[in-house]
Amino acid sequence: MTVMVPGRGAVAPAGAAPPPARRSVPGRIRLISGITVASLALLFAALAVGTATARDGLRVIGRDAGPQVVATAGLYLALSDMDARVANALVMGEANARQRQDAIAWYERRRLQANQALLQAFELSGDNPAERRTVESVLAGLGRYERLVGQALLLDERSKHAPGPPPEEVVATYRQATDLMRLVLLPQAYNLTLENGTIVRRTYDDKALMAPVLRGAVVVAGLLALGCLLWLQVFLAGRFRRVFGPALLVATVTTGVSMFFGANVLAQDEAALKEAKVSGFDSVLTLAKARAISSSMQGDQSRYLLDKERADTYEFTFLDKSLSVIYTDVGNLDAYHDKVATGSNNFLGLLAPELVGRQGAEVLGAYRGFQAADKEFRELVRSGRTAEAVAARFGPVATSFDAYDRELVELSNGHQDVFKRAIARGEGALDNLWRLLPFAIAGIGLLVIAGVWPRLKEYR
Amino acid sequence: MKRVLAVVAALAAAMVVAGCGTGGPESILDKDDLVIGVRPDLPSVGFRKADGTFEGFDVDVARYVAGKLGKDVTFLPVLAAEREKALVGGKADMVVATYTISQDRKAKVLFAGPYHISYQDILTRSTDTIKNVRELKYRRICAIQGSNAAERVVEERKVAARLVPFADYKACLAALKSGQVDAVTTNDVILAGLAMQDGSGLRLSNAQFNEQRSGVGLRKGDVPGCEAVNRAITDMYQDGTAEKLLKRWFGKSGLDLSTVAVPQFEGCS
Repeated sequence: MTVMVPGRGAVAPAGAAPPPARRSVPGRIRLISGITVASLALLFAALAVGTATARDGLRVIGRDAGPQVVATAGLYLALSDMDARVANALVMGEANARQRQDAIAWYERRRLQANQALLQAFELSGDNPAERRTVESVLAGLGRYERLVGQALLLDERSKHAPGPPPEEVVATYRQATDLMRLVLLPQAYNLTLENGTIVRRTYDDKALMAPVLRGAVVVAGLLALGCLLWLQVFLAGRFRRVFGPALLVATVTTGVSMFFGANVLAQDEAALKEAKVSGFDSVLTLAKARAISSSMQGDQSRYLLDKERADTYEFTFLDKSLSVIYTDVGNLDAYHDKVATGSNNFLGLLAPELVGRQGAEVLGAYRGFQAADKEFRELVRSGRTAEAVAARFGPVATSFDAYDRELVELSNGHQDVFKRAIARGEGALDNLWRLLPFAIAGIGLLVIAGVWPRLKEYR
Repeated sequence: MKRVLAVVAALAAAMVVAGCGTGGPESILDKDDLVIGVRPDLPSVGFRKADGTFEGFDVDVARYVAGKLGKDVTFLPVLAAEREKALVGGKADMVVATYTISQDRKAKVLFAGPYHISYQDILTRSTDTIKNVRELKYRRICAIQGSNAAERVVEERKVAARLVPFADYKACLAALKSGQVDAVTTNDVILAGLAMQDGSGLRLSNAQFNEQRSGVGLRKGDVPGCEAVNRAITDMYQDGTAEKLLKRWFGKSGLDLSTVAVPQFEGCS
């Protein structure tokens, strides 16, 4: 079936267009094939750019900044707890030697955790110079802090005081240490967590803006390639009186499937990134902040007990932090205790948007328990029953705080699972696409050649 | 071929349009010139000089932050009661005016920073010995219009001080020196600035009883702007500018500047 009508191909366009458009049939086949290949290249380029953007978003959010939030939040918690444990050890007095040893052992454990978290944060900080400087500054400060704590603990042991506030020289040394921790080191650790929140927000906003555009580009390039393939087939059918070129037909179907599958994967990735950010990451970040602030509230309780001169200040910072976690419009701590205990479930503040569902109600319940224990603890301190206050601080207050912290962790774990699953789903979809895409590209290329080459050969 | 070109052109146009129409609230990052509200009435903090220009710690912080963002600055005088209105009404893009971050205020404005942690403190005559807030019991203190510092002593600290109302700090300082009141209490940087301007040797107690986080006020919703300001504040502390500015404005005031460190940020979301 080799019916050649070379003349017609040249004549028809000559009538419609001016002389330079004159081309031979093989010339036109080459031109149309060239355009087709170019449009196919455009499709796969759009797919490549689209998937690279999606992968970059998943990497930054899922592998860099996301884990960095967890690492830096861990750093904050370890640092904050170090300071609280030291304060604990200092108020124990000679009578509670065993609990004092316990508190020191916890301090050591948290110190190791802080060092590990610092190393991890340094590794994950990559090429962000401000973040690196911050990590280095915390590292340097931590060395100084440990020296001061060593001195305070030694002075405390020598003083052999009764349970409650230690002698003035111990308090003065601890004051230097805690100021360094609370005013210099902890804010930097907290800001590192926030900075990673910023990186995630920026990346997400960028990707959320670009993704639909790239997906649109894939569809447009795909339709263009399909149009070109059809054009090529219609032309060949007309010139060579063939209805079907099986190779080109398969190429067309493969192109259509690639476009559809590719656009679909990009849409899935957009959805996965959105879920990771909105349902996972945002809550993980908020809860990390809430946990950090809450843990330093617990430290403020010990410091309130330890440092008579600054007791007012530590009580105020406790209230201030309480208000930032769960806000209600009150002027002092007594009113806050009452409002939290009896108030409705309608609060503002950092935790408020997270307090939904069963787990949210449990967090709020545990928080109420913690504040109730705090109320009783402060009444003991105010009425001068120091030994009982020390016992309360390490009994009901510590227990209720641990319960509250556990509920926060549980709530956070739920969101972290959502986050991890969404990132894994997004990455999985991309991996699947790229497992098939190279075959599609090679296949379509070979099929186009197989469809066009025999026709061109007819002119040799 | 023309059709192909047309489609490609349309596609390119669609991308450009999609790229520009980011939507969302306006950010300070989109502007070339920022109107920044500063206090005209607080010496060494935010003060309007006779020639109409502004000076003080807040003013220098505002200049530094705007410089880091690559923006030009026009200053707008805002008194304590006008800060929120200036932001919400759009007269100021940013407010750096000893604007203490509070949960109430966060409902209306977005806070970057804090750029400085100050404390509520007590200013007395040099002969007085008040060391902490409890010693204000039964003493007469100024209650300045538009400031809740004196009420906080009674309300939050539950110290039974006697409040004597005054319209502004000038009248209050005159009363302090004449013995009509015994103490002034508010933000320590404000007291330090007032004492230095007064020059008669008033005493700052360094009681530091309530932490006050001074933030940079922004319009609500401008998260990118807030994050950029936080980065600028981090730079300000890391490159030593913050310490230099604090020493410059408060070095001789008796204010405790032994710890200068980047404050814990409030977060922009």
